[in-house]
Amino acid sequence: MTRAVSAELLVLRKRAATWILLGIWTLLGVFFAYVVPYALDPEDAAGGVEQFFPESLAGTLLAGFPFFGGVFALMLGVFALGSEYGWGTLKTLFTQRPGRLRVLAAKLAALAIVLVPFVLALFAAGAVASGVIAQIENATISWPSAWLLVRAIAAGWLILAAWAALGVLLGVLTRGTSLAIGIGILYALVIEGLLSAFADSVGVLEPLTSVFLRANGYSLATALGASSQNIESNGPGSFSGPFVDSPQALAVLAALIATFAALSALLLRRRDIA
Amino acid sequence: MTDGPGDLVIETGALTKRYGDSIVAVDELDLGVRRGEVYGFLGPNGAGKTTTLRMLLGLVRPTSGRVAVLGARPGTPQGLGRIGAMVEVPAFYPYLSGRDNLLVLARYAGVGGDRIEAVLDQVGLLDRAADRSATYSLGMKQRLGVAAALLKDPELLILDEPTNGLDPAGMAEMRDLIRSIGNGGRTVMLSSHLMGEVEQVTDRVGVIRDGSLVAEGTVEELRGRAGLTVRAEPLAEAARLIRALPDVDEVTSVDGVLDVTVDSSRAPVINRLLVEAGIAVSELYAQQASLEHVFLELTKSGGDPS
Repeated sequence: MTRAVSAELLVLRKRAATWILLGIWTLLGVFFAYVVPYALDPEDAAGGVEQFFPESLAGTLLAGFPFFGGVFALMLGVFALGSEYGWGTLKTLFTQRPGRLRVLAAKLAALAIVLVPFVLALFAAGAVASGVIAQIENATISWPSAWLLVRAIAAGWLILAAWAALGVLLGVLTRGTSLAIGIGILYALVIEGLLSAFADSVGVLEPLTSVFLRANGYSLATALGASSQNIESNGPGSFSGPFVDSPQALAVLAALIATFAALSALLLRRRDIA
Repeated sequence: MTDGPGDLVIETGALTKRYGDSIVAVDELDLGVRRGEVYGFLGPNGAGKTTTLRMLLGLVRPTSGRVAVLGARPGTPQGLGRIGAMVEVPAFYPYLSGRDNLLVLARYAGVGGDRIEAVLDQVGLLDRAADRSATYSLGMKQRLGVAAALLKDPELLILDEPTNGLDPAGMAEMRDLIRSIGNGGRTVMLSSHLMGEVEQVTDRVGVIRDGSLVAEGTVEELRGRAGLTVRAEPLAEAARLIRALPDVDEVTSVDGVLDVTVDSSRAPVINRLLVEAGIAVSELYAQQASLEHVFLELTKSGGDPS
């Protein structure tokens, strides 16, 4: 299994799309979390100018994971499986020694590993940005505790992993990349938002919203310091609740990853490979 | 199922693949490939060759029937670890070099890195191994596909149209390569619609039409089906006597000779019959029909496969 994972890591590492996504995600993450709101009017930000200081690093960055980061992770997940259909490489892999499920397991494991630098890169870039802003504001640089940072990095990884797993499922379901990304973005932009809005008036939809990716992602983010006011005014990814408690959010995100992986496995196992 | 010495490496029984209610891609196919032989799997486009190969590799699930490859169920690690395959156009990661593509496959297959250089050398791709596979010509991709199939040093090699897209020199090289692979004691199943290719490299041939096996045997056996040519006087009397034989399928008179559809091994019997009847036989020989002619006869729509 280790060799299969290392094979997949080679495939992901040498792919330009992986590095392009990592670069854009890191740059835009810092841009929207620090540069734009600070440049507009730092005092007017939901958390005040303090949200740009190093001490608020975890919450400020995590607010961008459940939607903005999710879309990047979704694309990474789609590319990991959907491209294999386009290139026809799935048949090449499936005629090697491991069975189909082992190939999928290797891909998921490699994807999980590749998400780590995605989280770390943004936290590193955010730390630099927050340090620069603190210096500009002549504020004392005070970093969050290591424990909070570890939890925030783990939470960020979990949120991205859930979206990446959805991307894998959509890639397998549609046997390609374009439609899978389209459906994924539609889900992220429209479906969750609309259903959440209707849930206020249609009671039967309310339980559904508690298993949404964004709802649980944002709940986890707010539990680690993200400002709910900031999330409410978060552009296309804005979210106004309902929030769930963090153990529930953790459990739901983990369950979603397991469900997406299981459905992908079921489809891969049952379908013919053209 | 087991695969002891001398037995069948590939065995199918009533193997069937349907798509929906109307399309039968493979229809109750009974196939047996023996250990150590180069088996040519012939058929026109759409006859069901690739679907059959996909079922042998576990890529396509049969609708019904039995199939065992190297004694294992298709698609399981027990079988796949001993099979090398190239199905249709070889597919590789376009942004990886030929060498890196093989490295990915080697890691999946649990094969050491030293095999990569060996197979690249075997297919003559060492000098381009560092280039991205997207820059390869179709012929080079075919060779990389064969290299990938050889990575595991497999007991059984399944090659689907390996000379597709190759120029004449490339085709000759590929034939030599397949022959050398076959001479090495491996079992090779080679699917093709190119008669010359099959004629030159295979030990036995199976012909598939509309998803069913319509003929199987050595190339010589299949050619023998074309029958005998007889020049005799009087021709009409000769035709009448030959037609009366129980194992003669058809006798036609063409340009003063008789074309007799019968196993060519019956030539002495026919000769004696005619001579004893006082007919002057000036020529009697087995028709050396080309495999292409036999193939066309066997696979023409609605044609009698006999």
